[in-house]
Amino acid sequence: MLESKGSVLVVAGLFFFGLAFVSNALVPALMYKDLPEKTAEQLVTANLRYQFEDLARRFPESFEKHVGQAPPDGPEKEQWLNDRCAELLRIGRKVYTGEACWHCHSQFVRPVSGESRRWGPVSQSWEYQNELQRPVLFGTRRVGPDLSREGGRRSNDWQAVHLFKPTLLSDGSVMPEYPWFFEGSPDKPNLRGLGLLTYLQWLGSWLPSYPYYEEWTSAHLPEGVEPGAVDQGAIDAANQGVTGDGDAEPEAQPDSQSAPQDNEAGQDSSGEAKPAEPAVSEPAAESPPAGATPESTTEPKPTDPKPTEPSPEPAPAEPAAGEVPAEQPIEGDRPPAPDEPTVQFSPWGPFFRQEVA
Amino acid sequence: MNQTTSAPPRNRRARVMTAVFALVILIPSMLGFIAKFIEFIAVFRGQGEGSFAVTPMVNYLLATTGFFCLFGWALLHGMFREIEAPKQRMLETEEWLVRQEAASDSM
Amino acid sequence: MSSASLTDNRTVDVDRLVDRKLVLYFYLASLTYLFISMLGGLLMAFQLIRHNPLSGIEIFSPGRWRMVHTNAIAYGFLANALLGSMFWAVPRLTLRPVLSRLLSWFIFIAWQGVVLATAGGILLGQAQGLEWGETPTWIDPVALLGLALVVLNFLPSIVMTKGPLYVTLWYFMAALVWTFLTYAMGNFMPEYFVSGSAAGAVGGLFIHDLVGLFVTPIGWGLMYYFVPILLKKPIWSHGLSLVGFWGLAFFYPLQGIHHFLYTPIPMFLQYGAVISTIAVELVVASVIINFFGTLRGSGSAFITNLPIRWFYTGMIFYFLTCLQCAFQTTLTFQAIIHFTDWVVGHAHLVMFGVFGLWIQGIMTYLMPRLIGHEWYSRRLCEWHFWLSAISLAAMATDLIAGGLVQGHVWRALLPWDVSIEASMPFWVVRVFTGLGMFAGQIVFYVNIYRTFQLAQQGAPEAAPAARPALVGA
Repeated sequence: MLESKGSVLVVAGLFFFGLAFVSNALVPALMYKDLPEKTAEQLVTANLRYQFEDLARRFPESFEKHVGQAPPDGPEKEQWLNDRCAELLRIGRKVYTGEACWHCHSQFVRPVSGESRRWGPVSQSWEYQNELQRPVLFGTRRVGPDLSREGGRRSNDWQAVHLFKPTLLSDGSVMPEYPWFFEGSPDKPNLRGLGLLTYLQWLGSWLPSYPYYEEWTSAHLPEGVEPGAVDQGAIDAANQGVTGDGDAEPEAQPDSQSAPQDNEAGQDSSGEAKPAEPAVSEPAAESPPAGATPESTTEPKPTDPKPTEPSPEPAPAEPAAGEVPAEQPIEGDRPPAPDEPTVQFSPWGPFFRQEVA
Repeated sequence: MNQTTSAPPRNRRARVMTAVFALVILIPSMLGFIAKFIEFIAVFRGQGEGSFAVTPMVNYLLATTGFFCLFGWALLHGMFREIEAPKQRMLETEEWLVRQEAASDSM
Repeated sequence: MSSASLTDNRTVDVDRLVDRKLVLYFYLASLTYLFISMLGGLLMAFQLIRHNPLSGIEIFSPGRWRMVHTNAIAYGFLANALLGSMFWAVPRLTLRPVLSRLLSWFIFIAWQGVVLATAGGILLGQAQGLEWGETPTWIDPVALLGLALVVLNFLPSIVMTKGPLYVTLWYFMAALVWTFLTYAMGNFMPEYFVSGSAAGAVGGLFIHDLVGLFVTPIGWGLMYYFVPILLKKPIWSHGLSLVGFWGLAFFYPLQGIHHFLYTPIPMFLQYGAVISTIAVELVVASVIINFFGTLRGSGSAFITNLPIRWFYTGMIFYFLTCLQCAFQTTLTFQAIIHFTDWVVGHAHLVMFGVFGLWIQGIMTYLMPRLIGHEWYSRRLCEWHFWLSAISLAAMATDLIAGGLVQGHVWRALLPWDVSIEASMPFWVVRVFTGLGMFAGQIVFYVNIYRTFQLAQQGAPEAAPAARPALVGA
C-alpha cells in the first residue's frame, strides 16, 4: 500500500492532512466554541468611546467631513457614536492589515522574556474572540513594539503625528511614514487615518489595565450595562464609583501614570517596563498613598470582577489561555514595582504555573 | 549494504541483527512512552480540560496504529519485493528519451 | 520487467511529450517575479536602515512591498518554477503528456493573472490578514480554481502509469492534493469560519503547510528526479526515500502551531507541534543521507557539474535549516528568538537557500535545452552561483546573529530604541547581502539573454551531448 497510488492519494494526501487539520485546527476551534465571537459593535467600550469622542474634539473638521455630524445630545447621539465607532474600527482593521502594520508589530504578549512587564498582561484567548481578529493578527515579527496594549498609552495627537512622520516624535524610528492617512498635515486625518487611530486606541481597551489618559480615568462598564449601548450617565456613574473616594485620581500616582504618559511621547518610541503597567485606577482610589499593593486591589470593588464587558465566562478561556495564574480580571492590577514577582513559565505550561519571587 | 538493488536473499544474520536492533530501540521507548502517558493521565484526572489534552494524543495513536496495520498488510501482500526497481526504470526511461530526442533531432 | 515497459514506449511521441516553450515561459515568469520580489525586499531593507528613497509615497509603502516580496516569492517565483519543472518532469517520468496542452497554457496564463492581481491588490492596500496568504479575499476562489485545474492536468498521467511509482511521483501526487487543501483551509477557515486563537492555529498551519506540503514535496520530488539523471546513477536507496516521503507526510502537517508558540493557543497543542517538529528532523536526516549516499563515489561532480553543485549546496542549507528548526522550535529558544530577525534569517535560508538554489540549479540545467543553445558563458554561470550562495549564506548568518542580539536586548527590558540601534549594523549588512543576491540574478538574466541571442543567430558551434530541440520546435 505504501507504494500504491491510491494510498499516496488517500492516506498521505487526504488522511494525514485531515489528521493534522483535526488535531491542530479543529481542536482549538472546538475548545473556543463556548467563547462567543463579538462583533465590532460589541467591542465599543467606554474606554474606546472616550477616545473616539476625543478624536472628534481634536480633529473636528476631519471628523465632521469623514465621519459626519453627531446628532444632538440624547440616546440617538449615543447610538450614532457607537455605530460610527464600530464602523471606524472595521475600517481601521482593514488599513492595519492593508499596510502590513501587523508584520512589524505583533499583537500578543507572551508569558516569557519579561514581556508582561514591558507591555502589560499576558494575552489570553478571549481577547481574540472577535470580528476584528478574523484572521487573527498575532503577527510573527517585532520590528516595532507589540501593540496589543497600545490603546490609551498615547494621545490621539501623538498617534496622528507619529503616523504622519514617526521621526518627529521618536528619533531613530525606522517606521515608514504614512502621509496618505492625512490631508496634508497631521491634524487633518482622512477616513483611513481616523479609522486607524480608532483601531489603535481600541487595542487593549478591553482590559482593566487600559491606562489613564489625561483627565480621563479608566472606566469599566459597570454591572448591567449593555456593551453595545453605552450611555454617558452610566459611564459617569461608573467613574464616580471608581474615583468616588477621592477625585484626586491623577495625583494619587503621579509618577507611575501621568508622568510617563506625558514625557514618554517626547523621548522614546515605546512603552518601557514601567509605563507598561500603569495599574488600574482602583488601587489608587482605595489607598490614597501611592504604591497600592496587589492585595489591596483584590477585595474592594464590585465593579472589578467584570472589568470589560467581554468575557462573561472566563472559565472556558482559562484552560487555553491560562497564562495567568489565578483570575484574569486582576491581572492588570499588578503594581509596577520593578521587583514584582514574575510569572515563570513552567514545563507544564498553562496547567501549573508557579509564582516565583 | 549500500546497494540493495535487485533482491538478494536476506541472510539470517542480517535478520537477527535487525530484530535485535529494533527491540533494543523499541522496548525502552515504549516503556518510556507508557510511563509518561500514565503520568499524563494521572495529572489530568478530574480536570475539565484533561480530555481535550488527551484528544490529539489518542488521535495520533489511533492513526499510527492504523498506519502500521496497513503497513503490515502491505508487507504480507508482497508489496516491497521490488522496492528498488522504480529507480532503475526511471533512469532507463530517461536514457531512452535522450536517445530518442537525439535521433529525432538529427533527422 | 523494466525492459518490457521500455518497449511499450516506442509509441511515445517524444517531440510532443514536453511542451518546451511552456516550461520556458514558466521559468521566465518565475524569474520576473523573483526580480520584483527582490526589489520589494530591498525597499524594506532600505527602510529599515532609514534610507528609503521612496518614503511617503503610498504605492511604495514598504509594508505593502514586504507583502509583495513574500507573495511574489511563494506564488510568483516558487510556484511558477515548480510548475514549470513539473511540466518537464512529469511527462518524462510517466512517458505520457499532461492531460491537455491547451489547459496547460490556460493554467499558465491564469496563474500569472492570479499573481499579478495579488500584487495589484496588495499594492492597493487590500491585503488579507493572513501571513503568506495576503492575496486579497476576492482572488482566493480564483486561485483555488487554478490549483484544481493543475491537479486535473497532472493527475491523470501519473495515475495511469503502471507498476510501482518512482518516489518523485509520490511526492508530486501528494503535493497536488495538499496544495489544494492547504490553500482552501488557510484562506477560508480563518476568514470566514473561526476567529481568534483558533484562527491563529489555522494560520500557523497554513504558513507551515504552504512550505511543507507544497514547496517541499515538489522540491524534493524534483531533486529525486534531477540528481540521478545528472549523476547518471540511481538514487542510493529507493526504500529509504519511501521512509522520507511517509515521514514527511505524517509529521510535517502536525507542526503548524510551532509558528505561534506562547500564544494563547492551548499549550498542549504547542507541545505537540514542538515534538513533531523534532521528529521530522529524523526524517530529514534520512533524506539527506540518501542523497549524499548517491553522491558517494562521484564527489567530483559537486565541483565540476554546476547543477549538481546548486542542488547539493541547497541540500546542505536544507540540513542546516532543519537542524536550526529543531532547536528554534523548542520553548527555550522561542523565548529569545521569536519575533526577531532570527526567524527572518531562517525564512531566507529555506526559501532562497534551499528551494531558490534548487530551482536555479534546475534552470541552469534546463535553460540551454529549452533555449536550444549552450550557455553563453560558463563563467557567468559560476558568478551566478557564487554570488547567490555566498550572499545568501551571509544574509542568513547576519540575520540569525542579529536576531539573537534583538532577543537579548528585549529580554533585558531595555528601551525599544536600543534594540533598533543594536539591529542597525545587522540591517546594514543585510542590505549588502541582498544586493549581492540581486547582482547574482542580474548576471543570470544577462546570461540567459545572451544565450537567447546566440540561439537566434543559430550559432553552429552548439552541440551539447543531447542536442536540444529548438524552442517551440
